[in-house]
Amino acid sequence: MRVLKLEKKRLNGFLGKLADSYEIIAPVKKDLVKFEKVTNFDEIYLEKNSYFPVKEYFFRKQEVLFKFSGTKITVPNPGNPKRVFFGIRRCDLNAINHQDMVFMGQINDPYYMSMRQNSFLIGYHCNEAPSPFCFCGSMELAEYFDLMFYDKKDYFLVEVGSEKGKFLVNKFKGFFTELPILISSEEKKIPGADRLENKDISKLYDHPDWKKGVDICLSCAACTTLCPTCYCFEVHDEVKAKNPAEGQRKRDWSSCQLPSFTKVAGDHVFRETREDRFKHRIYHQLEYFRQKNGVDLCVGCGRCIEGCPTRIDFVSIINNMK
Amino acid sequence: MAENPFVPKLYKVLDFYRDAEDMFTLTINMKKEHQPGQFVQISLPGVGEAPISIGSDSKEHIKLSIKEVGNVTRALSRLRKNDKILIRGPYGKGYPMESLKGNSIIIVGGGCGVAPLRSVIDYIENHRAEYRDVQLFFGYRAPNEILFKKEMEDWKKKYSMKITVDKNPKGKFCYDAAEGHITDIIRQAELNNKNKVVFLCGPPKMMQSVIDVLKQRGFHDDQIFLSAERMMYCALGVCCHCMIREKFTCTDGPVFRYDEIKDLKND
Repeated sequence: MRVLKLEKKRLNGFLGKLADSYEIIAPVKKDLVKFEKVTNFDEIYLEKNSYFPVKEYFFRKQEVLFKFSGTKITVPNPGNPKRVFFGIRRCDLNAINHQDMVFMGQINDPYYMSMRQNSFLIGYHCNEAPSPFCFCGSMELAEYFDLMFYDKKDYFLVEVGSEKGKFLVNKFKGFFTELPILISSEEKKIPGADRLENKDISKLYDHPDWKKGVDICLSCAACTTLCPTCYCFEVHDEVKAKNPAEGQRKRDWSSCQLPSFTKVAGDHVFRETREDRFKHRIYHQLEYFRQKNGVDLCVGCGRCIEGCPTRIDFVSIINNMK
Repeated sequence: MAENPFVPKLYKVLDFYRDAEDMFTLTINMKKEHQPGQFVQISLPGVGEAPISIGSDSKEHIKLSIKEVGNVTRALSRLRKNDKILIRGPYGKGYPMESLKGNSIIIVGGGCGVAPLRSVIDYIENHRAEYRDVQLFFGYRAPNEILFKKEMEDWKKKYSMKITVDKNPKGKFCYDAAEGHITDIIRQAELNNKNKVVFLCGPPKMMQSVIDVLKQRGFHDDQIFLSAERMMYCALGVCCHCMIREKFTCTDGPVFRYDEIKDLKND
């Protein structure tokens, strides 16, 4: 892939030019690190990965599917926001790839597509694992970005990964110097991120250690909320208190870790125990999704472990299964 | 622009009929092609959406037999002729009628599980020459839950039909039903598995006990087809609520061949 050089001191200038036409969304550190719209580029925080993934900009927490008045339906037009996302780690870029497979591959989700259409993804390569919970090196991650920035102290190497990426560097070519080099696969490796020793869990379903591991689970759903790949949702109708004939049908994030996730009319719950629900999440991440899409859903960001209030570490649980 | 998969279309109720104390059948002017065993997502704006199996085989309309168990189904029970209704679908894989031509078909339904199987009975009616013997076994908890009383008059003339009711304490029940469980009449029927397939729908426990009896009678796992029920929102294979391990009830099912899901316990 084509490689260019951008002097670090010119980064803000480049982003400033982009900001003339696009919203710049990048990680910002407040109490927690989160992707936000940035106007002062000195606020961009790249030392650690963001606590919250970037997924909420595409697969939004709440989506109005349509409004209704009686049986008359109006589908809202969420527009095609023009945005440049800067500073997305390799794990999260792959998470976007996996959600693209769901919402633009398995189905044509017009709401997701409208958020993705005019968005540019600029990655930021981790020179080392940014958190002790990372294990992206154990997963098979793909090259999925428009541009990828490699931090080389005084400058960035910029790898062009798509037509969209090519469009950006060509449009602002004054900032870049073309280099006749390639980024080697060695340079793309992230040291210290291969904690998961065995990701083939197909024969471990009935292993007793699953239960031991989740005895301290609070069923709080932090793991699925922080997960950059989890894409489960539920759909509910909301009506106006003054006029129940008017309202909207909404899609919200949902979590397989809550008992209500499988509750049918008549109050029967199919996955009643925490063990069953925990296993379902891990197996969906490491096995079920691969059967349909040829790749593991999990990208190894470690957020579900870092954000768990009781620090349940499924990677250690699997590593310790003998 | 591709069609928005979340937006339902508007239809009209052609008929409302109360089948049993807590069950009713809506006839709706939906003329989309469908297979027996498939389902639709029916909704009332402001109340919500529910997956309901199609209980008919017609090019002119669909019939939905619905049990009042939740918010949506209770609200649907207030619909009457000419009311408007929103529907998406049909969805899912139904009974593989085409590939089972030439077989005898045994239909086993428990309670409101009889409703989806009516689509198979109607289909056989429309393609009678393509299938051999048809046997119907229906089990209900109580006489007031018995479905399709009118239709049964016709079915019992054409097919072998047996019904059980768990309890019939007064003995005043006027239908030709035995007191007991559905497994009793299946045991008594002395079935063999030659050129036969079984279509099964009902509560999970009932389906399991019926399968146990069938296995004793020599039926193989791939001769048994069952219809699963799960929580479901999208019906498109993406919301994940209906997953049974790696299978999606909405797109891989709701009709599964038993050997596809038999190792998956009750999850």
